[in-house]
Amino acid sequence: MNKTNRRVLGVHLAVAAGGVIMLGPFVLMLAGAFLAGNPLGGELSPRITLDHFRDAWAALDWPRVYGTSLLVTGGIFIAQVATSLPIAYALARWEFRGRRPTFKVVLVCLVIPPQVTAIPIYFLMSGLGLLDSYSALILPSVGSGFCIYLFRQFILAIPPSMFDAARLDGVGPVAMLWRVVFPHVRPALVAAGVFSVVSHWNDLYWPSVMLTTDHVATVPYAVAGVSGPDSTVPLSVQLAVAALAALPLLVCFVLVQRHLVRGLVLTADGE
Amino acid sequence: MTPLLEASARTRLRTPRRYVPALLVTPAATFLMVFFIVPLSMVAVLTLFDYQPLTRSVSFVGLRNWHRILTSPELRQATVNTLLYAVMTVPVIVGVSLLAALGIHALPRWGALWRTVYFLPTIATMAAMSVVWRWLFYPGAGPVDATIGRLTGATDWLHSTTLALPAIAVIGSWAGIGSSMVMFLAGLTSVPQHLHEAGRLDGAGPWHRFWHITWPALGPSTMFALIIATRDALRVFDQVHVMTDGGPLGSTETLADLQWRYGVSYLDIGSGSIVNTVLLGLVVVTVAAQYLAGGRRLERAGAR
Repeated sequence: MNKTNRRVLGVHLAVAAGGVIMLGPFVLMLAGAFLAGNPLGGELSPRITLDHFRDAWAALDWPRVYGTSLLVTGGIFIAQVATSLPIAYALARWEFRGRRPTFKVVLVCLVIPPQVTAIPIYFLMSGLGLLDSYSALILPSVGSGFCIYLFRQFILAIPPSMFDAARLDGVGPVAMLWRVVFPHVRPALVAAGVFSVVSHWNDLYWPSVMLTTDHVATVPYAVAGVSGPDSTVPLSVQLAVAALAALPLLVCFVLVQRHLVRGLVLTADGE
Repeated sequence: MTPLLEASARTRLRTPRRYVPALLVTPAATFLMVFFIVPLSMVAVLTLFDYQPLTRSVSFVGLRNWHRILTSPELRQATVNTLLYAVMTVPVIVGVSLLAALGIHALPRWGALWRTVYFLPTIATMAAMSVVWRWLFYPGAGPVDATIGRLTGATDWLHSTTLALPAIAVIGSWAGIGSSMVMFLAGLTSVPQHLHEAGRLDGAGPWHRFWHITWPALGPSTMFALIIATRDALRVFDQVHVMTDGGPLGSTETLADLQWRYGVSYLDIGSGSIVNTVLLGLVVVTVAAQYLAGGRRLERAGAR
């Protein structure tokens, strides 16, 4: 017993040591943003001030930037679910011609980064006059290999008896989608939602390609504008800008994190 | 539960009506076709053209773009930097996240707290957190120079041609550990517990049990984590773009950043597409190698 306790304590300490490194930058960010004085040269004073946040709030049109990011990430995720669930259901449940090649394409989409298609899509969007628009930020990310793969794995794990029972109740093959599949994939929706929202909310690359003005600037794009390597904004204010940019998503995540692993569990190996 | 999954795969239904799968597949297939397959097949073709942004005219130039880009050192340097970055980050991300997942999984309590802590860097906007990292690496006054710098003499990382890329890799590892850790944690919950009990009764030590029970069961998670970490390493852009902008002297220029500079900043679509083609080739070769070496576990993951 004693030995077990000692081992648990050791694991606790090791995990905590790593955790300190993971948390360090956040602590520094909040310290530099909330404390008075210049963080460079160790001149931080223990006095708490909101001045940096006031300046940071004035540096950007935050309601508009938050709104744009919310619309873009929300739009992408809703469209991803609407298109991915049906194809995942078809790949998991139905035998049809072209099923295997279709799944192969999905796997390829899963591993090919969006950077690779950026220039042709830039051309396409520019030809359609859609640069600097919500369409340019949302539409190219709708087809998601990750969501399709995740949902397929999850649907494979739904007991076939569920589908049989529904069929006996007269549920048609398409209606099965919202009568059986949808209620069962909720945990996977959380997992897919976390990964999709996190990656698109934070992404700097795609907006950097598709945007030429601040008209539909997302949070990372706007932040990169005020806090690049050559920024003249004081570091404390930059840190407050960083906090304003990063905190909404962090808070949202803490609220849903309980469901995250459960959503991936059934998918990674099936239980 | 494995037999159940097999059953569900075996009872895949043959539909009497052919339009049903078509109806289900079409929406996603349309998006993947327009924004993935078609652009992907255009990448190599675009390298043969020259685009004049002012007149919006496109002209065929054959292999002239290739000749120009291949004789300039920038592409080679960006390729080497990207590969070095992947070599520095992928083993750290996969290794540390596996250890973190094993540790957190073994904790009788507070597991959720630490899981959240390790995942926070993944959620934090890189463009924002790079402000903090630039402060950490700030010459002289930054915490890195004040500690590591004073002990080892390695200072001013971001302005050093040898240390800037490792600095970018440190940041990338910090941000990348969370998502692979979650994949490992998900895999760990499906490790058959009765085998662990049996192993313990047979007197197998922790290392033995890990190697013969946990590790094989983690196969699909490991493949997934490895492939995603590699893909994300090869496309690294955000922290390069906001921390060093490829400098000093191109020592942190990566393929994704170079492609952005050529294709978007200079509107030199031909050269951008060449960088693009190289990036695509790199991703395809490394992922295919991992996929083949991993015994195609990714595809079988759901049907085992």
